[in-house]
Amino acid sequence: MSGLAASERSVRPSSGLSRFAAMFGKELLELVRSLKLIWVPIVFIALGIMQPVTSYYMPVILEKAGNLPDGSVIEIPLPTGAQVMAETLAQFGSLGALVIVLVFMGTVSSERNSGAVSMILVKPVSPASYLVSKWGAMLLLSSLSLLAGYGAAWYYTGFLIEAVAFKAVLSSFLLYELWLLVLLTLTLLLSTALRSAAGAAFAALGAGAVLSLLSNLFPKYAGWLPGALPGFARQAVMGSLEWSSRFGACLVATVMLLAALVLLANILLRRAAAID
Amino acid sequence: MNMAEELGQLKELLPIIAPIMVLQLILMVIALVLCIKSSQTRGPKWVWILVIIFANLIGPIAFMVFGRRNE
Repeated sequence: MSGLAASERSVRPSSGLSRFAAMFGKELLELVRSLKLIWVPIVFIALGIMQPVTSYYMPVILEKAGNLPDGSVIEIPLPTGAQVMAETLAQFGSLGALVIVLVFMGTVSSERNSGAVSMILVKPVSPASYLVSKWGAMLLLSSLSLLAGYGAAWYYTGFLIEAVAFKAVLSSFLLYELWLLVLLTLTLLLSTALRSAAGAAFAALGAGAVLSLLSNLFPKYAGWLPGALPGFARQAVMGSLEWSSRFGACLVATVMLLAALVLLANILLRRAAAID
Repeated sequence: MNMAEELGQLKELLPIIAPIMVLQLILMVIALVLCIKSSQTRGPKWVWILVIIFANLIGPIAFMVFGRRNE
């Protein structure tokens, strides 16, 4: 009698939301256990602090390290605060994006290779909720890291050079976070499609480079591609961003691209679960 | 430039540079602890320890991204 009650309890259907919450909790636990939640923000903070400091001390650094003849006078105008913040964004775009893509390069493929994906998907967990929980972890870690790093850069720029308007910083932060999400969602899709983690990372970074190259080379025809987001973020922090149809189209195209990438990954994962 | 002037410059610089050094130290310690505690690393462990200690910022990142085996 009691055994029957127990089995009844165990087959009680759980709602999709609670299953998703459990999956997301697992991703959070993974972020905490692997210490990613600590070291990735630290890397971004270090990058964010270095840019204002090096711009501020550039004349001193050149004087000490450069092989300049005695008596040569170097006149380097101190960059404006907005310029330094824009340079910081460029730093996040190179080393920061590299780190965050590499952190997530094996997010699906390593679990596929170890057989964990098939173990999870035989339970009543849909591939979509599996992928969206991964995506949520990406969103959390990337926004936290970028917020910490960009905030540190903002503080140091205000301290050493000049204060930058909060609104400009916030809007450029949001635009840049969107760009990081494009790179990460590409990583999610490629990590689902490819068995090799390194292959997924380099394909994602390559696709990101092609996107930004296209929108920079052909602003007239491809200026609406998500690759233009770093440029818009730069304009936002410089205070020269104006609402244009190209900017609106870029935002819409980015959201559609993100949705399409997750959908495609979902289709691939449904097939992969049958193959694995 | 004489010694006293250099020292004065250093004193002025220290509060600005210190947070970067502290952050690098934290990263280094995290990476070292993970490296020493892990049962297996990709490549010899002592090489990773040298890389973590002597390659600032890049060393700990490289270990945490490439050096760990998923268990």
